[in-house]
Amino acid sequence: MSNVVTITGVKKLYKMGSEIVAALNGVDLKIDSGEFVALMGPSGSGKSTLMNILGCLDRPTVGSYKLLGKEVSGLSDDELAIIRNKTIGFVFQNFNLLPKLTSLENVALPAVYAGLSSKDRKALALDALKKVSLDDRAEHLPSELSGGQRQRVAIARAIAMKPSIIMADEPTGNLDTKSTLEIMQIFRDLHAAGSTIILVTHEPDIAQTAERQILVKDGKITKDILTAHTDEKIDII
Amino acid sequence: MKLQTIEYYFREVIISMIRNRWMSFASIGTVAVSLFILGVFLIIVMNMGKMASSLESQVQISAYLNDEISKEERADIERMTRDLSAVSKVEYIPKESALKILRERLGDNRKILDALGESNPLPNSFLVTVTSADAVKTTAAAISDLYGVEEVKYGQDVASNLFNLTHLMRFFGVVLTVILSGATIFIIANTIRLTVFARRKEIAIMKYVGATDWFIRIPFILEGIGLGIIGGTLSAIFLRNFYSAMAEKIYTTLAFFPMIEQYPFMNYVTLSLILAGIFVGILGSTVSLKRFLQV
Ligand SMILES: Nc1ncnc2c1ncn2[C@@H]1O[C@H](COP(=O)(O)OP(=O)(O)O)[C@@H](O)[C@H]1O
Ligand SMILES: [Mg+2]
Repeated sequence: MSNVVTITGVKKLYKMGSEIVAALNGVDLKIDSGEFVALMGPSGSGKSTLMNILGCLDRPTVGSYKLLGKEVSGLSDDELAIIRNKTIGFVFQNFNLLPKLTSLENVALPAVYAGLSSKDRKALALDALKKVSLDDRAEHLPSELSGGQRQRVAIARAIAMKPSIIMADEPTGNLDTKSTLEIMQIFRDLHAAGSTIILVTHEPDIAQTAERQILVKDGKITKDILTAHTDEKIDII
Repeated sequence: MKLQTIEYYFREVIISMIRNRWMSFASIGTVAVSLFILGVFLIIVMNMGKMASSLESQVQISAYLNDEISKEERADIERMTRDLSAVSKVEYIPKESALKILRERLGDNRKILDALGESNPLPNSFLVTVTSADAVKTTAAAISDLYGVEEVKYGQDVASNLFNLTHLMRFFGVVLTVILSGATIFIIANTIRLTVFARRKEIAIMKYVGATDWFIRIPFILEGIGLGIIGGTLSAIFLRNFYSAMAEKIYTTLAFFPMIEQYPFMNYVTLSLILAGIFVGILGSTVSLKRFLQV
């Protein structure tokens, strides 16, 4: 299988007054196409920082990030925006839908920035909504939907442009048990259909859904195991 | 851009102006007042310039005579003036005529002369016409040397003073422009900052799904332009009324003052003010985006 993500020696340093804080302190990580990875770790360990770099929302201070074989650590803001648009789909804990737009318009948003025609946008958005079984709610506003339905709209938006990676940051953090199961089933289905998924979570139950679990601590990867067989793939404690 | 997109932006700008109505109001007011003040300066400077150049092209010299001189001495002055090479015409204006002319020029304000009662402070004078504007200065100097001539006055003399004054006014105009633009840009930037703040979540979402920086900036810049256009238009409306009121006043009181015709002059001024409004709007929003949007 081919590598989607190859990170080598990545550090993210922040200046806090006279001190330098290493949010990431030397991370090496490879993720193959079609993998379903859970990113775990205590608060402040560097998960969000790693997500931001993986999601091309931020650049590493040091190190290399190859996305689909292409070095992206030195790209400009606009080049990164185009990569986010075409290659990465985001799902967040708080859904991040635009309240004034309908489900369909929210899902079509990435296609707007990609410059697609309104006909193509609508077709893509409707297709994505079908995949999360919400095509019957296409004209509803987020305020007219339940939490679980909103998150399904957000997932539809994440997959609308058929990205190479789906990144989800605590996607079930705001949901009840029933909706959580629904959402995790959707991720499993997407994984079964070949999507590469990176999921940040606190909850071990949720992480069990993924086939691989990575533990981040103090800006380093301290554990990297396969879920199904619980044997350790790489161990760098 | 498609019509739908334009409509979308237009609606967003209006919504955002209403949401920040006090800041928008303050911005528009600042733009309007600043541009109005600058506009007043502009039309004064331009009118003074026009006045100066029309004076400069004048070929007449007034030679004011000493009250004490005799008829013979006056005739001597007239003869010697006529003998000067560049002089084409010499007309005697007794003090009574001068008062009458002044009275006519003052129009509605002629009452201020009533305070004089029967006295007449104006001197007798000769109105001397020369053949070309180039000869005015030397001819005036020659006349002023004649016995019994108290003072000579001519357009170029006044014109050079007026030009100096115009330069001074221009200098103040530039200083004023810098100060007022600074204030305007500052307040527009703060208004846009409120919009950025109100829409920070939306901006984050747009970034996540891959909007490029320009796509995100456009609505804010449009809002800045909107504030600038409204402010500029208001200032232009005030200034047009101001100018026509002033023109009327001057026409009835100082009819001899060659004011620049209202049209098309004020149309150009209007256009300049609106363009200036757009300019400060773009600048203000750009400053704000640089500082607060980080895109
Ligand atoms: N913009 C920033 N400036 C300074 N320090 C930061 C910044 N972002 C993150 N950090 C620090 O980096 C560390 C990791 O943060 P984060 O990646 O958010 O952790 P997590 O998501 O695992 O809770 C924390 O100590 C945090 O304080
Ligand atoms: Mg975090």
